Amino acid sequence: MSLEGFEVAVVGAGPAGSAAALTLAREGVQVLLVERGTFPGSKNVFGGRIYSYALKNLLGDTWKDAPIERFVRKEGVTFMTLDKSLSVEFESKDPEGSFTAKRAKFDKWLAEQAEKAGASLITESRVDDLIIDRGRVRGIVAGQDRIPTDAVIACDGTTTGLARRAGLTSILEPNQISMGTKDVVELPSDKIEERLGLDPGEGAAHVFIGACSEGLRGGGFLYTNQDSLAVGMVVGGDDVSSHKTQSYTFMDKLRQHPKLQRLIKGGKTVEYDAHMIPEAGPKMLSRPYTDGMVVAGDAAGHLLNNGYTFRGVDMAIQAGVAAGQTILEARKKKDYSANSLKAFEKKLHEDPALKDMYTFHHVPAYLRNRRLYTIYPELVCSAAEAVYRVDGTGKKKISKELRLQAKGRVSLFTLIRDLIGGARTF
Amino acid sequence: MSAEESLTLDKRLAVVSFTKDAEPFILVDTDKCNQCESKPCLYICPAEVYTWKEKLNYNTEGCMETGACLIVCQKLGAGAISWKYPSGGKGVTFRLG
Repeated sequence: MSLEGFEVAVVGAGPAGSAAALTLAREGVQVLLVERGTFPGSKNVFGGRIYSYALKNLLGDTWKDAPIERFVRKEGVTFMTLDKSLSVEFESKDPEGSFTAKRAKFDKWLAEQAEKAGASLITESRVDDLIIDRGRVRGIVAGQDRIPTDAVIACDGTTTGLARRAGLTSILEPNQISMGTKDVVELPSDKIEERLGLDPGEGAAHVFIGACSEGLRGGGFLYTNQDSLAVGMVVGGDDVSSHKTQSYTFMDKLRQHPKLQRLIKGGKTVEYDAHMIPEAGPKMLSRPYTDGMVVAGDAAGHLLNNGYTFRGVDMAIQAGVAAGQTILEARKKKDYSANSLKAFEKKLHEDPALKDMYTFHHVPAYLRNRRLYTIYPELVCSAAEAVYRVDGTGKKKISKELRLQAKGRVSLFTLIRDLIGGARTF
Repeated sequence: MSAEESLTLDKRLAVVSFTKDAEPFILVDTDKCNQCESKPCLYICPAEVYTWKEKLNYNTEGCMETGACLIVCQKLGAGAISWKYPSGGKGVTFRLG
């Protein structure tokens, strides 16, 4: 393929990159989508779920052609100690709101949609540098190839090499990242449905908080694929380093819990995956644009962990579309200066889905409270045990039992302060 | 292998697909590591690319390309690691991620 004559280079064929390339290609822009893996998705790892709305916005009715594993009908959270657990489950009436997927299939498919619209995809190509001329980005450098373009859209993931190269950020702080690890455990689909109480084709998403992270900022997750369970842990980068425990060992803590044991019993681990998650939100860049370039997706912190929903792919798609639209407008004005591209930031703030990132911007700080992973899961499990145990020694009223359980663990003042803090944050 | 057993990292890495990159994409100035007290790379890396036996040893063959080692080394460690992605098409391939 000749690498000349492209107006825009999009770096990274993940959800943000493919959505941006698709948006541009639809309008007849000559766009080059560059992927370092052997195929789009081959370097990408997530927990397991995609919120459908972003795909509907991007593709209309054809969104359902996506390689969907299962629509998520059940949402659950489990607070756990080493041997106890308290779970809350929500069953959705609208199971098409989100679905589980495998990135090797999903990202590949989404990049194909961009190609169908006219984007040119090259794989196995690592972008090493930007062409920068008098402070303005004017293309990319991939190995021996210098590819001049009018504009660049950097969707190069958490390590955000191009944003750093353009001076939009320095190296992230360890408390701004988490390490995610996951095992894919193969199980027959009827076993999955039986164990999780699902009808055929339906899926579940579950979060685990407590003993599995050994008190560190983090938690576990479980998503149902068609024929496998995605089971994993996410732990804070600063916590793992100072706790001197290897990041992957937390998964064993999770898997050894009786609740998980029952779910994965007899299963076969067919893949192990890992991914670094940026946790600072859009603040991780000083701004997501510069002369000749915009940055979208993980690379710009366009994702949201608010403690109970974990959103990456939907936000990446929305941000990718906004990036594409920004470039389209700039192209019309023939002005790719930072002043012209700052319209991107306005779009991000006004996007009904992406504005959640700004609404929940206090969440990362709140989630650093260690009590969330230690005292509170223990408290609710012990309280539940006290409430449900009948051993003939006499029962106390629930309110008294709760007070007794809290005693010595956490002061009423701290408890109330954390509750109010939580109410303000979420 | 049964899911009930505790999985070792070696067993986990054995089910991940890797294509070796002839070009070194991680370089460590291991002299600096001798002065490093926290050694955060040993803990953050999900693939034990970094190990300690009298000095820092590293083996990029199981690298899962998260890039977290660079961050913790720069901010908590000795700033000894230089890191980039493997060449195009090389390194890890996730099929089920």
